[in-house]
Amino acid sequence: MYEDEKTQQNLHAFKPQLEKMSNKGVALIVFLLLVIGFGMYALYTQIVDGHIVTGMRDNVVWGLYIVNFIFFIGISYAGALISGILHLLRVPWRTPIIRMAEMITVISTMIGPSYILLCIGRLDRLPNLVLFGRIQSPIIWDVIAITTYLSGSIIFLYLAMIRDLAILRDNPVKTARWRNPIYRFMAVRYKETTKQKELLNVATDLLSIVIIPLAILVHSVLAWIFGMTLRPGWHSTIFAPYFVIAAVYSGTGVLIMVMWVFRKIYHLESQITKIHFNYLGIIMIILGAMYGYFTFSEYLTSWYGSIKWDMDVLYRLFNPGEYWHLFVFAVFIGVLLPIIIVTVPKFRNINSIAFAACVAVLALWVKRYLIIIPTLETPLLPIHDLRPEYVHYSATWVEWALTFAGIALFILLFYLFSKFIPIIPVVRTGEEKDYSRLRKIVFEKQMKKVIRQHKKSDAVIAGIVLLFILVSVPRAMSQDENRVQPMLKLEYFHVDSSQILTATLQAKVEGRFISLPGMEIVFKFICNGTETLLGKEITNGKGRATVAIPEETLATGGDKGLYSFEASFAGNDRYDAASVTATMKPLRLELSFFQKEGEKMVNLKALEPGPGNQWIPAENLDVVFYVPRTFSLLKVGQASIVNGQTSLEFPTSIPGNHLGYLTLTAKVEENEIYGNVEVSGTINWGKPLPPVNTIKRGLGDTNAPLWMVYTLIVLLSLVWFHYMYVIFTVLRIRHLGKS
Amino acid sequence: MKHRSSNRRNFLRIGIAAGATALIAGGGNVLSALSVAESKETGEKMKLLTPEGKLVEVDKGHVCCQPAGNLEARQGLPDKKMVMVIDLAKCRNARKCLQGCQKMHFLPPHMEWIKFYLLRDSEEMSPYWFPKPCLHCNNPPCVKVCPVGATFKRTDGIVLIDNDRCIGCKFCMAACPYSSRVFNWEEPKMDKGVNKAAYSPETSSPPKIGTVSKCDFCPDMVRKGELPSCVTSCPNGVYYYGDKNEDAVTNGTDTVRFSELIESRAAYRYMEELGTEPSVYYLPAVDRAFNYEVGFEGLSDEEIALYKTEAKIKE
Ligand code: SF4
Ligand code: SF4
Repeated sequence: MYEDEKTQQNLHAFKPQLEKMSNKGVALIVFLLLVIGFGMYALYTQIVDGHIVTGMRDNVVWGLYIVNFIFFIGISYAGALISGILHLLRVPWRTPIIRMAEMITVISTMIGPSYILLCIGRLDRLPNLVLFGRIQSPIIWDVIAITTYLSGSIIFLYLAMIRDLAILRDNPVKTARWRNPIYRFMAVRYKETTKQKELLNVATDLLSIVIIPLAILVHSVLAWIFGMTLRPGWHSTIFAPYFVIAAVYSGTGVLIMVMWVFRKIYHLESQITKIHFNYLGIIMIILGAMYGYFTFSEYLTSWYGSIKWDMDVLYRLFNPGEYWHLFVFAVFIGVLLPIIIVTVPKFRNINSIAFAACVAVLALWVKRYLIIIPTLETPLLPIHDLRPEYVHYSATWVEWALTFAGIALFILLFYLFSKFIPIIPVVRTGEEKDYSRLRKIVFEKQMKKVIRQHKKSDAVIAGIVLLFILVSVPRAMSQDENRVQPMLKLEYFHVDSSQILTATLQAKVEGRFISLPGMEIVFKFICNGTETLLGKEITNGKGRATVAIPEETLATGGDKGLYSFEASFAGNDRYDAASVTATMKPLRLELSFFQKEGEKMVNLKALEPGPGNQWIPAENLDVVFYVPRTFSLLKVGQASIVNGQTSLEFPTSIPGNHLGYLTLTAKVEENEIYGNVEVSGTINWGKPLPPVNTIKRGLGDTNAPLWMVYTLIVLLSLVWFHYMYVIFTVLRIRHLGKS
Repeated sequence: MKHRSSNRRNFLRIGIAAGATALIAGGGNVLSALSVAESKETGEKMKLLTPEGKLVEVDKGHVCCQPAGNLEARQGLPDKKMVMVIDLAKCRNARKCLQGCQKMHFLPPHMEWIKFYLLRDSEEMSPYWFPKPCLHCNNPPCVKVCPVGATFKRTDGIVLIDNDRCIGCKFCMAACPYSSRVFNWEEPKMDKGVNKAAYSPETSSPPKIGTVSKCDFCPDMVRKGELPSCVTSCPNGVYYYGDKNEDAVTNGTDTVRFSELIESRAAYRYMEELGTEPSVYYLPAVDRAFNYEVGFEGLSDEEIALYKTEAKIKE
């Protein structure tokens, strides 16, 4: 198997890489581990102390973590799009770089989402995403899309490795032999029989077809996290394609950097040649130009429309005191420099292209920073928190430590991976020759893109420097030692059939009335000179104490139909004693409803005790009609009692319950003779409440809109069906290998 | 304890608490049904109106005084639709509402659920103070984006947060266009007693590290038939609160018909163009009771300078 000269040569060249680890390599690993360890310490701090240790605050709720998240997911495009497309088009020069591209994808898709985790306040509650996940939330889309994408990339990488695994199985490594059984297992008995070869090719093709739209979707979903909010600078319809282009741009950049590095450390000069750098460089600047075009379009549109909030963000970006320099780097230098380096033949060489890629990648990291931070620093309503960290975001050491830890982890995984499997596919299938003509069609296009940047006239707004000075003024709390004379108020309430006395105890302290809670009030009923104790009650938080007047008490009668009550407070070491009496005449109110000439009316009768135990009409009395509402009584009318009665039109426009039942209360309030008397009645003459809506399916509801559910199911099953099919194919390859 | 409260607030129109309607539907069996709910007797009675228009009297403890559990709190008070009307003509940036709010919810000084802005729409216009709680949007961007349904819209219009479910992704904070949400960046510094109290999304207390908080429209108070603290703390009666389904709002002293108030005073909702459909209505600052400069009282120089810059007020 694979006896061709090229493959053997490759094997010969790469085997030592897998078997030996140079001192420099060990040193690198140790260094990377240290960086990661420091990151872990930072993470520990963050978990113990909370997110207060980061630079994130209520306005800038997302910081470096999200920037890194977008960045890593962005560079994962290298594998998905570059290698997917190159594979499908059978681009002949792709072979040496395709594995690196796929590795970038897998590794960065693993690291990227961990940044989202760092950003989450309650890691312990992650299971809630599964338990209570709402598919209306772009975060859930992201979770689903990224896991699907990661699975796909791993399978894709694996498929492309099978041939090399087979050759390693047949030529076992001599150090770290534990790897050999793994190679054997993973090689799935692949022996390059015609059938197996065919199956493998079909599976790879299939997956590269699936992975391309999937990759586009993943980054679109990521962009929608921002695009779906009503924030200036985010709420843009082109955000998804913009993110996709920026991602491929950075992915290509990282691929070029990785190529350059491995070319140096593993001496791959014969494999990775200037051709690769040139071609990838061209791809990169095409993407760069598109990214520039999107950027231009995005900012031109919002500047031209000049909505207030959009302008606020633009001013920040164009303000030399704030983000202008970063903006110039991310947008002008990050696009123009790579284009100049790659297009001008004089500048174009391997090192300079790698440098251009480096600039592009950095610029795109900065661009992500400029997408996230200035927008969050510019909420629709101004920030009034004077603490500087609430106004301006600046990342803390914790965030930087974790950022570098992520980069270190990326390099570490890459390095370790290159010790496990050759960084360049060893097996050459020879197919590249068949397709060389495609190269002409795809990559020999000439393109020129002139990007004109509109001039921004003095977009300078003076930055506000905020100083926060904490001055605590200790206030001498002087205790008033003087005794206070409290005030006691006694009210009589007659509500429907029950009668109540309420006493309110207040005192004027430092010019303000305060209620006195927890004091004992003694209530008495005074009749013909004899006192009857009604009860002793403690005042509540509002200084109020209440006692019910038993029916029997009143039955004993009063002087001339008058009743007297007394409330008294015995006083304590701070407050003097107080007492108050009130004399009342009973009043009977009767509420009834009637209809006259189709009009709905309320009738109120008022009766007072007359001679000979008779109830006679009361006179000179003002009553107010109310409708009780949740918190208070809504006044609907008032009337004077004439000849013991009055009537009022029923307020039919006021909502009652679902059946229209509405309660009406008539009150005589703080009357000198009668005290407070009220009576209520209920009838279904109010405006009925409309029926409650049944379960809704909307973005804000618990249940998702059906189209969303269906779309998700269709998309997911499409993709996973393909994955399953590919896995099934691998199993068949294994099965075929038995014979 | 035989007395019964005459407190007019207790006189409730219909099933004030979640489930009360259901309980009452059990006919004359109300009290026995209530005792199943294992709630405490408070001795205080309140009246409820059954859907059939019958008045029943139940113990307050049975229906209102238990903090609602996390699941119960998602329901919303039946048949209610809470709204707030803020009268900008009467606001002088006294910030008593915020103090009341912070006291009631045991918030640390920097955690502000009500924020104050000095707005001036353009230089020809005159500045006015603008207090802003959570607007309890009817099409709430914050609720749409929550991945776990930890922030939710109830049938009574209130947008709440379940701090036991929130994963702290802060997406809702990024999504809220009104900056209404705040994050518990560190372990909230609380009295021991507060920390130990049973959590309820309706009281938003005790707050939890790594989760989001905001103005909750005080559903726990509504259950008791009491007004939120901001309404009662405002010395100028700026805040009106009430149930739109009852067509009544009150600022503690005056009770007015909601529909009449917003019609006669030409109320508007803030940034209606965003499509968020807030539940908070603003009455324009016409015929103002105070000069805006009164509002600078008690502010630090930095704060005043900041407000002035934002309102484009030149010295
Ligand atoms: S104001 Fe903000 S937090 Fe409140 S409901 Fe609206 S979007 Fe949500
Ligand atoms: S921070 Fe909490 S409430 Fe806000 S979106 Fe995330 S999980 Fe939901």
